[in-house]
Amino acid sequence: MVQAQRKMQTQVGTAEQGDTEAQLSIRNLSKIFKTGDGVTDISLDVQPGEMVTLLGPSGCGKTTVLRSIGGFLEPDSGDILIRGRSVLNLPPEKRPTAMVFQSYNLWPHMTVQDNLAFGLKIRKRKKVEIERSVTEALELVQLSGAARKYPGELSGGQQQRVALARALLLQPDVLLLDEPFSALDAKLRMEMREELREIQTKTGMTMVFVTHDQEEALSISDRIVVMHAGKIEQLSTPQDIYDRPGSLFVASFIGRINLMRSISDGQHIAVGSKVVQQDGSTSIPAGACTLAVRPEDLYLTGEPDSLEGTIRQVMVLGHYAEVSIHCEQEHLKMFVPREQAAELHSGQAVKVGFHKFTAFSEVSS
Amino acid sequence: MSTSGKRGMLGLALVIPSFLILFVVVILPILYAVRESLIDQNSGEFGLGNYIRLFTDPAMRKNITYTLNVTIVSTLLSLLISYSMAVYLRFSTSWMARWINRLYFVPMFVPGVIATYGLITLYGNHGWMVRLLLLLGIDSFPKIIYDYNGLVLANLWFNIPFATMLLSSALAAVPNSVIESARDAGANIWQLFFRFILPLSYKTMWVAITFIFMGIIGSFTAPFLIGANSPQVLGVAMQQVFSNYQETHTSSAMAVFMFLLCSVMGYFYIRTMGKDADV
Ligand SMILES: Nc1ncnc2c1ncn2[C@@H]1O[C@H](COP(=O)(O)OP(=O)(O)OP(=O)(O)O)[C@@H](O)[C@H]1O
Ligand SMILES: [Mg+2]
Repeated sequence: MVQAQRKMQTQVGTAEQGDTEAQLSIRNLSKIFKTGDGVTDISLDVQPGEMVTLLGPSGCGKTTVLRSIGGFLEPDSGDILIRGRSVLNLPPEKRPTAMVFQSYNLWPHMTVQDNLAFGLKIRKRKKVEIERSVTEALELVQLSGAARKYPGELSGGQQQRVALARALLLQPDVLLLDEPFSALDAKLRMEMREELREIQTKTGMTMVFVTHDQEEALSISDRIVVMHAGKIEQLSTPQDIYDRPGSLFVASFIGRINLMRSISDGQHIAVGSKVVQQDGSTSIPAGACTLAVRPEDLYLTGEPDSLEGTIRQVMVLGHYAEVSIHCEQEHLKMFVPREQAAELHSGQAVKVGFHKFTAFSEVSS
Repeated sequence: MSTSGKRGMLGLALVIPSFLILFVVVILPILYAVRESLIDQNSGEFGLGNYIRLFTDPAMRKNITYTLNVTIVSTLLSLLISYSMAVYLRFSTSWMARWINRLYFVPMFVPGVIATYGLITLYGNHGWMVRLLLLLGIDSFPKIIYDYNGLVLANLWFNIPFATMLLSSALAAVPNSVIESARDAGANIWQLFFRFILPLSYKTMWVAITFIFMGIIGSFTAPFLIGANSPQVLGVAMQQVFSNYQETHTSSAMAVFMFLLCSVMGYFYIRTMGKDADV
C-alpha cells in the first residue's frame, strides 16, 4: 500500500520520470454527466504487461473510466496517455485500445467468423493469416464450432466469449475488458480467467479489467483499484487490499469481514470486554471506531482476554464450517475446521479471540 | 379432436370476414379488370389485342417509357436524398439537424392538389422563382412546370418525407453499440457506412423503394396538373383513354400492365423480406 501511495503521489507531480514508462497513464481524469453522476480525479498508472482491475459496486463509474480510455467519452478534465502519448484527441478508431463491451456489441449482420476477421481485414492482414488467427482465437474461447453462426444464434455467454476473442485479435496496446465474464457460469468463468491470465503472460498484453465481483478481482489482478461513488477508494495489490483495507468501505466490500463497534482511547481499542493494543501504523484517535476482522482471523480460545458469546449456527461447507456467533451485541462469523465443528452446537458458550484486525475511526470516515 | 376442430372452426370464422372484404375489394376488381382487358376494344373478341396495341402504338410506347423513366429517376433521387437525410439526422447533433427533424415531415400534411398548385406558383412561367431571378438580373429559367423536371420535382416533394421517416426509424434501430464496437475495431467512416450502417438498413431501403415506386407509377394528381401533354404518364393517359375516348377495355389493359409492374416490385420486396427471415 505504501508503494501504491507513492505511485499515486508521483502521478500528481511529475509522472514522466518513472523508472519504467507506464503503458497507460490516467491523470486526474474527471467526467461528470449532466445528471451529476460520473467520476472525479481518477489517477492511475498501468505498467506494461500488467493487469489492473477496476472494482466497485454497480454505478460507481467503472465503465465510465473504461469508455474514457477507449475514446467513447470525452473527459471534462485530465489526461490519458498510452505509451507516453496523449490519446485524448484521438477518435476510438485511431486509439491503440480494444474493448470488450459490457453488452458484447457483436455485429448482428456478420457471422462469428466475420466478426472476428473484420478488424484484421481492415488492417490489411493476409487472408491465410486472418483465417489462422480467427481459428486460434475461437479455439481459445472454446467456440470452434460457432464460426458460421450469427451472434443472434449464440447464448449470452457465447456472445461474450466471441467479444473477448474479437478484442484479443486486435492485439491492442491496452485491452479494456468491461465485465467480460459476467454472463458465464462459474466453471467456465474460472477457465476463462485462467485463459486470460495465460494470454497475458504469453503476450505481455496490458489489460484494464472491470468487474464488480471481488473474488474475480482478487484472483486475476496484479493490482486492484477499488472505486466508490466515482472516486478511487484504494489502489493496491490484491493481498494488500485484502489484508490492509484502506477504508471501511473497502473492508466491507472486499471479502467477508466482521465489523465490531468499539471505542478507542488513542492507544487502546476496547471492543466489548476485549481490549487490543493499537499498532504503530494505524493510529485511531480517541472516540468511537469500528474494528474489522476477517472470519478466518477469528479463533475459538480459552484466553482470558477474549470475547464471550454463544453459537447460533454451525454450517458445514465442505472441508470447513462456518460458525455464527452472537457475541456482545455483534453477530460474528468465523471458520473452523470440520473436525472441530463436530464438537460445536448452537447455544454453546464460547470465547472468541483475534490478533489481526483493522480499525477505522468513525470520526474520519 | 373435437376441441381442436372447434378451434379450427373458430379460426376460420375469424378469418372469413377479412377475407371476404379482401375478396370483394381487391381480388374481384383485379379479376374483373383482367377480364375486361382481354376483350378487344375494337372487335369485342376475347384475346390479347388490347395488349398488343399497348406495346405497338408509338404514342403509347412513348408513354410507357416516359412513365418508367420518371418513376425510376424519381424513386432513385427520392431514395438518395431521404437516405442521406436520414443518415444525417441519425448521427448529427447540431441544431440544424434538430430543426430538420422537426420539419421534414410537414409536406405529408399538405394535400396533394394544394402542394401541386404551390409548385406551380413557385416554379411556373410567371412564378416566384422566375421573378426573384429576374430581380437579380437573370432572365433565363429552365422550364419546370408542364415538363419532366416538374414531375420529378413533385414526386420528390411527395415521397421524400415518408421515405425519410421510414429510413430514420431503420437507422434509429442501428444500435450505437454496434457503431462503437466497429470504431473500436478501427473502422473509418466509409467502412462504418458500407460495412455496418448500410447492411443494417438495406431491408428498410427496399421497403422505401417499393412504396415510392408504387406511389409514383400510379400517381395521378400531380402529373395531371403539371405534366406535359405528350408524352404522358400512364395514370393520366389511362384517365384520358377511359374518360375522353371511353375505351374501357384499353384502359383496363393499361391498368393490368401497371399492376404487373407493381407486382414485380412486390415480388422483390417479399423476396428480400423472406431472405432475412431465414437468417
Ligand atoms: N451517458 C450517461 N449519462 C448520464 N449518466 C450516466 C451515463 N453513463 C453513466 N452514467 C451514470 O454514471 C454513473 C457511473 O456509471 P458507470 O456506467 O460507469 O457505472 P459502472 O461502475 O460501470 O456500473 P455497473 O457495474 O453497473 O456497470 C452511474 O451513476 C450512471 O447512472
Ligand atoms: Mg459498467
